[in-house]
Amino acid sequence: MSAIPFPGVRASEHSVIRMLGSQEALLALAIIGVAILVGLDNARFLATRNLSDILLGNAYVAVAAIGMSMIIISGNIDISVGSLIGVMATISGSLAVAGAPIVVAWGLPLIVGVLVMALQGAIVAYLRIPSIVVTLGMLSILKGGLISVTGGKWITDLPESFHLADIELFGILPMPVLLMTVATALAAIWMRYSARGRSIYATGGNPEAARLCGISPQRTVVMVFAIHGFFAGVAALLFATQLKVIQSTVPPNLELTVITAAVVGGVSILGGVGTVVGSTLAAVLIAEIASALVFINVSPYWIHAVQGAMILATVVADILRRRRRLAGALTR
Amino acid sequence: MPSPQHRTAETASPLGVKGKPLLKVAGIEKSFPGVRALSGVSFEVAPGEVHALLGENGAGKSTLIKIISGVYRPDSGSIHVDGRDLRFEKPDDARKAGIATIYQELLLFPELTVAENIFMGHAPRTRFGQLDWAEMRARTEALLGSLDIHDLAAAQIVGALSVGNRQRVEILRALSQDARLLIMDEPTAALAEHDVKRLFEIVRRLKSRGVGIIYISHRLDEIFALADRVTVLRDGAQVGMRRVAETSSAELVQLMVGRRIENLFPKIAAPLGAPVLEVRDLVRRPMTKSVSLTVRAGEIVGLAGLVGSGRSELAQTVFGVTPADSGKILLSGREVRVRSPREARAFGIAYVPEDRSTQGLVRPMSVLHNFSLASLSWLSRGGFIDRAAEETLARDGVARFSVKTSSLGQIVGRLSGGNQQKIVLGKWLANDPKILILDEPTRGIDVGAKAEIHRLMSELAGQGLAILMISSELPEVLGMSDRVLVMREGRFVAEFARADATPQAVGAAMMGGEGAEAGRPT
Amino acid sequence: MTILAQSEASKVPLWLKRHETLLAAILVVALAILGLLNERFLTLDNLLNQGRFLTEVGLIALPMTFVIITGGIDLSVGSIVGLCAIMLGYSWKAFGFPLPLAIAFAVGVGALAGFVNGLLITRVRVPPLIMTIATLALYRGLAEGVSQAHSVRNYPEWFFSMGQGQWLGVPTQLLLLLVGVVVAGVALDRTTFGRALYVIGNNETAARFSGLPVDAIKLVVYTLSGLMAGLSAWVLVSRVTTTRSDMGIGYELDVIAAVVLGGTSIFGGSGTIWGTVVGLVMIQLLKNGLALTGVKGDATIIVIGAVLIASTLIASSLQARREGG
Repeated sequence: MSAIPFPGVRASEHSVIRMLGSQEALLALAIIGVAILVGLDNARFLATRNLSDILLGNAYVAVAAIGMSMIIISGNIDISVGSLIGVMATISGSLAVAGAPIVVAWGLPLIVGVLVMALQGAIVAYLRIPSIVVTLGMLSILKGGLISVTGGKWITDLPESFHLADIELFGILPMPVLLMTVATALAAIWMRYSARGRSIYATGGNPEAARLCGISPQRTVVMVFAIHGFFAGVAALLFATQLKVIQSTVPPNLELTVITAAVVGGVSILGGVGTVVGSTLAAVLIAEIASALVFINVSPYWIHAVQGAMILATVVADILRRRRRLAGALTR
Repeated sequence: MPSPQHRTAETASPLGVKGKPLLKVAGIEKSFPGVRALSGVSFEVAPGEVHALLGENGAGKSTLIKIISGVYRPDSGSIHVDGRDLRFEKPDDARKAGIATIYQELLLFPELTVAENIFMGHAPRTRFGQLDWAEMRARTEALLGSLDIHDLAAAQIVGALSVGNRQRVEILRALSQDARLLIMDEPTAALAEHDVKRLFEIVRRLKSRGVGIIYISHRLDEIFALADRVTVLRDGAQVGMRRVAETSSAELVQLMVGRRIENLFPKIAAPLGAPVLEVRDLVRRPMTKSVSLTVRAGEIVGLAGLVGSGRSELAQTVFGVTPADSGKILLSGREVRVRSPREARAFGIAYVPEDRSTQGLVRPMSVLHNFSLASLSWLSRGGFIDRAAEETLARDGVARFSVKTSSLGQIVGRLSGGNQQKIVLGKWLANDPKILILDEPTRGIDVGAKAEIHRLMSELAGQGLAILMISSELPEVLGMSDRVLVMREGRFVAEFARADATPQAVGAAMMGGEGAEAGRPT
Repeated sequence: MTILAQSEASKVPLWLKRHETLLAAILVVALAILGLLNERFLTLDNLLNQGRFLTEVGLIALPMTFVIITGGIDLSVGSIVGLCAIMLGYSWKAFGFPLPLAIAFAVGVGALAGFVNGLLITRVRVPPLIMTIATLALYRGLAEGVSQAHSVRNYPEWFFSMGQGQWLGVPTQLLLLLVGVVVAGVALDRTTFGRALYVIGNNETAARFSGLPVDAIKLVVYTLSGLMAGLSAWVLVSRVTTTRSDMGIGYELDVIAAVVLGGTSIFGGSGTIWGTVVGLVMIQLLKNGLALTGVKGDATIIVIGAVLIASTLIASSLQARREGG
């Protein structure tokens, strides 16, 4: 975690202090704080309908941010995820309309996601091409591919059974929130308690040292990309199955929002630090702010500027803190 | 095969422990292109022994321990651990044999906790295959306790730790993998006083547990405090192995540096002019404590000292890479503020850095372009580089310094060390500096090129250039300098005029052992 | 061309020569093939028209070459184009600036945007990648926020001369680009500034230790990148006669692809303006050729993306072979 307000908190031996001063706690406070502030200005913001819309409509961003967090922790970046989600949404919708069994309509995109991302991971890890170049190229291949294959046509007439996101388990738990929570929890546990999960931190923190510990940075990177592809697939499902119509264009700027969620959630762009709980909370916060802008009568066209400012501020703060800490540790 | 030294009675048996030595290497030969790094070196360590390895830079210590830890493979010779003949193909093999190396700092994960750093790659698992954090913490605490360390907690983030604490984490990591032989390379070079004391305690504890330690250090006082035996390397060969209790600093210094100083260093006496560079009470945290010196025109001042004594840091402060916190720099009597290498260059200060490859040259670029690197501002008119002038500069330089290159377009990365160094020198001399600071000017260079560079230095001094030369090779310092200043821990501790500078006196001042009072203290 | 000949002596001669000769050869072959496939292709009219289209990306590709040579990258250029386009329209319409002043203002905004990038990259040491991803979002967001998704139209006639006019038979903006190419090429090849870029990209530490003003130079290249994006915005608005906040989306792909295709290593330290020009022309020809054979505009980005990855791969393996040998 990087953005703690009180220096020394993270180094504290007391886990309670660390927890209270942590990025996750800050985010949770911010979520509540924004809700209160906006609610005071416009009480309709706090209506259950609105709050649940925020959560349900944006859960997919949080799911995608799980994989993105892992990518950034490992020391890489991915800007192709938005386009990939668009492609997977179209695949899923097309299969459903074509009459394929729902399991296939939901499952195939996941496989596609894993394969496409794993391919990118392999190019980054073994061919040593910087991840920005690979994912920038792939972004265009996917975006262009989507347009040319669909010919600009939108997918309509989706069967009822397609709408995964509308399912409420046991009648009360909406699928998006359920999947978001479960995915976050599973990912968080895996990243904390499994050796493979920790190897992501090692690879991102110090690849040379990781190699000397017996961890293969290359295999770790491919694994991370593959997992990211899976979560992107789940996100695509959540995204697509909420819509009545699937457009032939990719959701604009989705990858930026996902990256913002990861970075604001505490993942350091220098690699080796961050949690998925943080990125999920940050995704919720971003969605909340987007909605809040509307309720306080600020034009929603400012949301990207706000996101950009958030990511910039977080990154600058992170780097300043690291430099100060590094300088401090070197003096006796 | 054990070398003749081993047959003398005083060094015959490992200390008090009968049976096989923990580690025994014999007849190690290792060469790199153009350099014979090790010739027929033998060495052994008994369980519970601290065996120190002593030698100048370039003597072969680093190569030897890299062979022992599996990073290099010897050209010939044998390695025995517990009597078993082993071959290390990669560092992991050495690790499995129980050999661990404590590196300076690079092998930690700054954002992870102490416990995780210690156990990365071999963490304890629960029944279900998960990482057992509770067990990890418990074992970390046990390790901390076993070394009586009470100011480190398992949950602390390593990046926020001091250098001393990070080193302790490295040591714990080695111990967590049941290391039985620990290699420590200049472990106290970056440590403060109290951290050094704690390191000693840890070393003593490890000794009592039967862990063998190879301890590389220049600091004689440490060697006498900690080590049981000491082996001296010189120019890739083993020149002596002694029981510490039975030797003296004088003897060790003699072994380390004793060689005929041939007349490879014809320093011509030159008339000394006015002071060109004066430094007064210069301070730059953390390495430069308070330094004053003077270099006159035509003078070569040699700066001797051990690794970590702060010489390069001083040079880089004068040169503006790490500007001073306080103190004065005067050039020809005028006080100046040097805040960047660009300003230094404008003032006429030139610095030939210690690390040619990363600081002195641009390896992928040509001879031509490297020669003009510091001269672009005056080689150009209105921003446009005068190519004819640039080429003339490079041609003259190649001729003057006898740089062996197939053409001006040759990539410098492919040239030999000696030729590369000449280019770095030439690059700076092209700028007509008033004071030239040389940092290890002949490191990694063959004898012929060395002589050429020394002759050049003499010439330049004769022409009125002021030269400050940092060198870890005593013969070079003694042969080339008009005056020798000795630096230790960021301060000058002795000054010798040419006539008084003997290897013993200077060596002793460098190491702070007996006889450190020789020479005029500054 | 003299620029090529001179640069051969200074960088790694053999490798670059191979890449650029190869590229030029491919270019000639591609021209021939496309000419055969479609009779409209090789007409002067069509080629000049293509020149018109490639200017917007081309103007930005010039400083991007500088940026990538120093080992950095600038992903925010597309957003700066959008922001400057909006600033052009809005300072004219909403703030009431006379149009020439609005143009200058827009270009100035671009330079400022680039300057901010450079400042944080050099002072705070934010890695260029993440810095320009953040500003990609921020600047686009500012463009959207200021414009509120309204577009600006009804520019006066004379305004279109940049984007749609001609001078001596050559499209106006192409002339602007040619001037830019010459200036950039000469600067990179013959000035101390250009030399410093190569040094920084190959070994920044040695550059500092030799007294080069590394931070100042980096600040300049990122500012230039923003400035040219501003100029590009002017050309774009002038050509399409309208101002919208989604202008320039995806430009970074075309620009970086052109630069990398032209032989500039993504890792820094090598590259020429001449190579970038060839890369630009090849990509434009590719797009044109595809369009003439019926492939829709959007789909061409598939090819650009593939070209980007492929050329990085090839350059990287050539580099590995050179260093190993």
